[in-house]
Amino acid sequence: MERVNANWRRTLLRSSSVILLAVAWEWGARMHFVSDFLLPSLSSVLTRLFEDIVSGDILVGLGLTMLRTLAGFTIAAAAGIVIGITIARIRVIRWFFDPVVSVGNPLPKIAFLPIFILWFGVFDWSKIAMVAFSSVFPVVVATWAATESVDKYLLWSAESLGVSKRQLLWQIVLPAAMPQVFTGLQIALPISLIVVIICEMTMGGQGLGGSMMTSMRFADSPGVFSGIVAIAIVGSLVVKAMELIRKRLLVWHEENAH
Amino acid sequence: MTSSGISFNGVSHTYRPPRGRPVLALDGVSLEVKDREFVALLGPSGCGKSTLLYLLGGFMPVETGTISVAGKTVTGPGPDRGVVFQNFALFPWKTVQQNIVYGLEKQRMPKPEREKRAQELIELVHLEGFGDSYPSQLSGGMKQRVAIARTLAIDPLTLLMDEPFGALDAQTRTLMHEELLAIMRRTPKTVVFVTHDVREAVYLADRVAVMTARPGRIKEIVDTKPSTGSRAEFIHTQEYTEKVDYLWNLVRDEAIKAQGEH
Repeated sequence: MERVNANWRRTLLRSSSVILLAVAWEWGARMHFVSDFLLPSLSSVLTRLFEDIVSGDILVGLGLTMLRTLAGFTIAAAAGIVIGITIARIRVIRWFFDPVVSVGNPLPKIAFLPIFILWFGVFDWSKIAMVAFSSVFPVVVATWAATESVDKYLLWSAESLGVSKRQLLWQIVLPAAMPQVFTGLQIALPISLIVVIICEMTMGGQGLGGSMMTSMRFADSPGVFSGIVAIAIVGSLVVKAMELIRKRLLVWHEENAH
Repeated sequence: MTSSGISFNGVSHTYRPPRGRPVLALDGVSLEVKDREFVALLGPSGCGKSTLLYLLGGFMPVETGTISVAGKTVTGPGPDRGVVFQNFALFPWKTVQQNIVYGLEKQRMPKPEREKRAQELIELVHLEGFGDSYPSQLSGGMKQRVAIARTLAIDPLTLLMDEPFGALDAQTRTLMHEELLAIMRRTPKTVVFVTHDVREAVYLADRVAVMTARPGRIKEIVDTKPSTGSRAEFIHTQEYTEKVDYLWNLVRDEAIKAQGEH
């Protein structure tokens, strides 16, 4: 019981700044420093969010948004890891991708949005493709760096213990690269979320980004804010989930040693 | 019993850094290590002693000269030569037990046997109760004990040790010396031991090969086998002190030369 209480207290303390901001928001809105239209009160936004959840509207939009995010992110993760490993190990692949990555990585990928709309239309595929394209670069770069920087003594040890060349990749290089690869994925995930919202805002239709734009056009600011609150909650949950998976997967890593 | 002598024959090695001029690291090294003999390679840092060991390990191609182990020319790494590195090089994602049995898995030893062998080795290096720990949870001395156990698990003919105790504090190092000698008494092996610590070399080795500053050559080979008594007593004898002094004088000149280079 003591432990539970202590845990609750710690959670409360850690989220105290968010709570403080929420209180300031509610108070500021009630004092009418700005008009309701510019800043609806938090309570009215939460009421609206609750109504939208009950009616099911927001769940459909949120579900669609997350589906696109995770689809694009999964493609980026799989492709990024494969590309990253092959760049590090196959000369032809490196020759091809090295300049592509150095130009593509700092490029604002969203600049391709019009092209992607022309190629893939305004429905799911263009959004998923845009998300995957934007998120793949950090995964490639992290995987590439990770597979190249595996400690040579680790490889030598494995070789002198009798490991074969093929086993070396799966049994030594990949597990050794895991922490850095995972960091790449953790960078890619928020990018996926950002890009999916931008795509939905630009292309319209169903999804959280689209409905927020619609709300804006109808001067429905509680509608916009309830979308922001919804994506903030879900986004932070997804990022938190990644952290938990990391902890699970990398129990052996120094970061988790006691 | 198979003979596992090692012979270096006119081995030279040139480092070719991606930028800058090639550097001659080893220049015509010839050395015979007899079966079950413990030879230390002693020299200042940068003299190429580790390079010589990596060539013996088969991690780098031998370009000039030949190295053979038990009559077979070295062409690549292999489980006949067990290696222990200074920075332990344990697989961090494997537990102590999994690290130790990794080489046995490669040899397709059946699981029950593997586990029995792992248990013996864990006892040999005094790590009872740590079988399920990860390396990140261990101290430096414990990590190196795991590395030694992992290498001994595959029962190699020869043991190559690259400054294995260099990263440990002085007390742990002394304890590890005693443990290594105890292990060698139980399972004698041909050992090549790289170090820059004169005392360590004299205490552990049957012979010490002193190397020159770069380019590394064998300057002199000194017999350091105690004439009477055990190694534990040896360390308190006049003979030990004289050997240490003698070797220190040999290394000193080379260390000064090596410093002048930087």
